[in-house]
Amino acid sequence: MSAAATVTAEQAGAGTELPATTVHLTRADLIRYAGASGDFNPIHWSDRFATAIGMPGVVAHGMLTMALAVKAVTDWVGDPSTVRVCSTRFTRPVVVDELDGADVTFTGSVSAVEGTRLTVTVQAVCEDVKVLGPTRVEVDLG
Amino acid sequence: MSISPDHVGRRYPPTDVYVVSQAKVGEFARALGDDHPAYRGPRACAPPTFPIVVAAQAWEQMFHDPDLGLALERVVHGEQSFESRRALMVGDEVTATLTIERVRTRGSADWITSVAEIGTLEGEDVSRVRATFVHSHPHQEEESR
Repeated sequence: MSAAATVTAEQAGAGTELPATTVHLTRADLIRYAGASGDFNPIHWSDRFATAIGMPGVVAHGMLTMALAVKAVTDWVGDPSTVRVCSTRFTRPVVVDELDGADVTFTGSVSAVEGTRLTVTVQAVCEDVKVLGPTRVEVDLG
Repeated sequence: MSISPDHVGRRYPPTDVYVVSQAKVGEFARALGDDHPAYRGPRACAPPTFPIVVAAQAWEQMFHDPDLGLALERVVHGEQSFESRRALMVGDEVTATLTIERVRTRGSADWITSVAEIGTLEGEDVSRVRATFVHSHPHQEEESR
């Protein structure tokens, strides 16, 4: 991955597609994110707790999935400090199996260009189910 | 007490000062599997969703506000947005100030939207972290216990 900005507003017209990426999440990734973010809700590390409240098992932090959706954009843009807005809805849980983990695939395309501002809309899919609502990431390349 | 639209506008005192450190930015980026060089070193910027770390400290005030009667085991994170004037940077000294922006009842749940305003000690607004939490009402059998 390059450190320099790789995309300019002129190059990326509306409809430009981002390369699809798939992230394999394991229980260790959830524990690492729990420590980094301070979100120690047991739904992200205890199967017994998760199933007791009606989940199929341990689920990923919605904020982790969101951050990975934003990363799909910053990887493409090149400079992560250009992000001004990001928003999403947490629609379905990402169930992370204790041994097999989970694969989340991110796809996206430029949905708007206004001057130096690009809006990219990202979709996140796990097991053929959209796990986030459309995730909007707005970057200022000016 | 339970949460209602009457609580819209409730504002909590600023959190304790949070100093953005190189170590924490690096730890957060690694947790995302992100090895971007912008997240390394004494002049690193923080990942775009990093302000959640600061906002979460402000959420604690709301979650534990006895007037709202929130039951944490019935709260899930429904929606999230960040509007930032710039990325947080290593060395920033910031606080988060939380306001309850909206309360709606839909079916058997309350939808609570909060905004954490993250600003530096010098008074610079950096980020607005808006979170909507879905607080499910207890089941009938729980209430009758």
